[in-house]
Amino acid sequence: MTEVEAPPAHPPASARGTVPPVSALAKRRRRLRYLVLAVVLVGAIAFLISRIGGSLDYFETVDQAMAQKAKLGGQTFRLEGLVVPGSVRRTVDGVDFVAAGTKHRVPVENTGNPPQLFQPDIPVVVVGHFSGGTFVSNQIIVDHTATYIEEHPARVRAPNGTVR
Amino acid sequence: MSAVTTWSARRAWVVRATGLAGVVGMAFTVWLGLWITPPDKVQGNLVRLVYLHPPVAWVALYLAFGLAVLGSLLWLWPRTRNDSWDRLAGAAMEVGVVFTALTLVTGSLWGRPTWGVWWAWDARLTSTALLLVLQLGYLALRRVASEPEPRARRCAIGAVIAAVDVPIVHFSVDWWRTLHQGATVLNANLSPTIHGAMAWTLLLGFVSMTLVFAWMVSVRYRIATLADVAADRSMQQALAERWAEGMPEAPVEEEGGVPAGVGP
Repeated sequence: MTEVEAPPAHPPASARGTVPPVSALAKRRRRLRYLVLAVVLVGAIAFLISRIGGSLDYFETVDQAMAQKAKLGGQTFRLEGLVVPGSVRRTVDGVDFVAAGTKHRVPVENTGNPPQLFQPDIPVVVVGHFSGGTFVSNQIIVDHTATYIEEHPARVRAPNGTVR
Repeated sequence: MSAVTTWSARRAWVVRATGLAGVVGMAFTVWLGLWITPPDKVQGNLVRLVYLHPPVAWVALYLAFGLAVLGSLLWLWPRTRNDSWDRLAGAAMEVGVVFTALTLVTGSLWGRPTWGVWWAWDARLTSTALLLVLQLGYLALRRVASEPEPRARRCAIGAVIAAVDVPIVHFSVDWWRTLHQGATVLNANLSPTIHGAMAWTLLLGFVSMTLVFAWMVSVRYRIATLADVAADRSMQQALAERWAEGMPEAPVEEEGGVPAGVGP
């Protein structure tokens, strides 16, 4: 390829990348292919979501854990419950409290310091396992709600900047 | 390609005003959020991140992805196919990546003091992390060397597939038990569980972040348009030079046939 004949005219720049005209049949076949692809994709995702079920749940509630306590045995899982007011007791190496569901209550023995928002009446997730009747854990995660309430709704700010 | 090199004065003004309003709104949100609004009953001062994290997530999940999918679908639909839809999708997704990353960062910063952990592999957090990976994949797809049309098709299909994760992120807190709390504003019965000054500051945060996003996408879209024009011109120039090489007897037109030089 030493001597190349020059093209007679500049091809329009807009012709770059355009597809040559396709027959109606090929067009319909391509559309069908897209449709099949979409159906397969949606079906696969729907199947995954329906089969995943509870495996994506982050924790078991106290009631659920109590219902399948025998099955859980000594295996480690995350347990969620409400910190029962008055049950919180500091120990040498952590904190003991009672976690409540709607029907059941589980005493929790935690090793390690709880996070700063840990307090009575707040939902928490504890990581550990059953040991007899108590739940032995080594981590407390606070599972706060999506509700935001002013700390002192009745407070007013005086014009001089003081708060009462 | 037509000469879409500059914005009309009116459009430039609108974009600039949007950006300015967004920045001023953000400044007001910061002021209200840090000094005026009261501490929360449970979270105390930690609640102040509520004025930042949900608005960022709102932009990342709904606005950026919504726009990217809209642009992609309009490009895929033969009747509305136009280069500008591809550019819009690319611009929205690129800005969206920043907001998704910020969602994860601000959420992590909020989770450490409130939950006690930086990260938890619950359904909401994991699906959001997956969203970031999908967006990065889309950006990689845009950079694969290709002709404009196959690239636009590939990207549009990629965006539509990635969008499957958006409803999963949104409903993850309802479908599964997650550490992440449920929706405060867009909850099932649409009654926001946030009160008084906190609610209004949150609303301002949403509006300001939306304006900032609109501004960023407009500017990014314009850069994409200019880049396309520049690429087209340099392509035409290169073609003209090759043709000139092939016809040594013909005089090389420097000014007339070749478009004005395009800066780097």
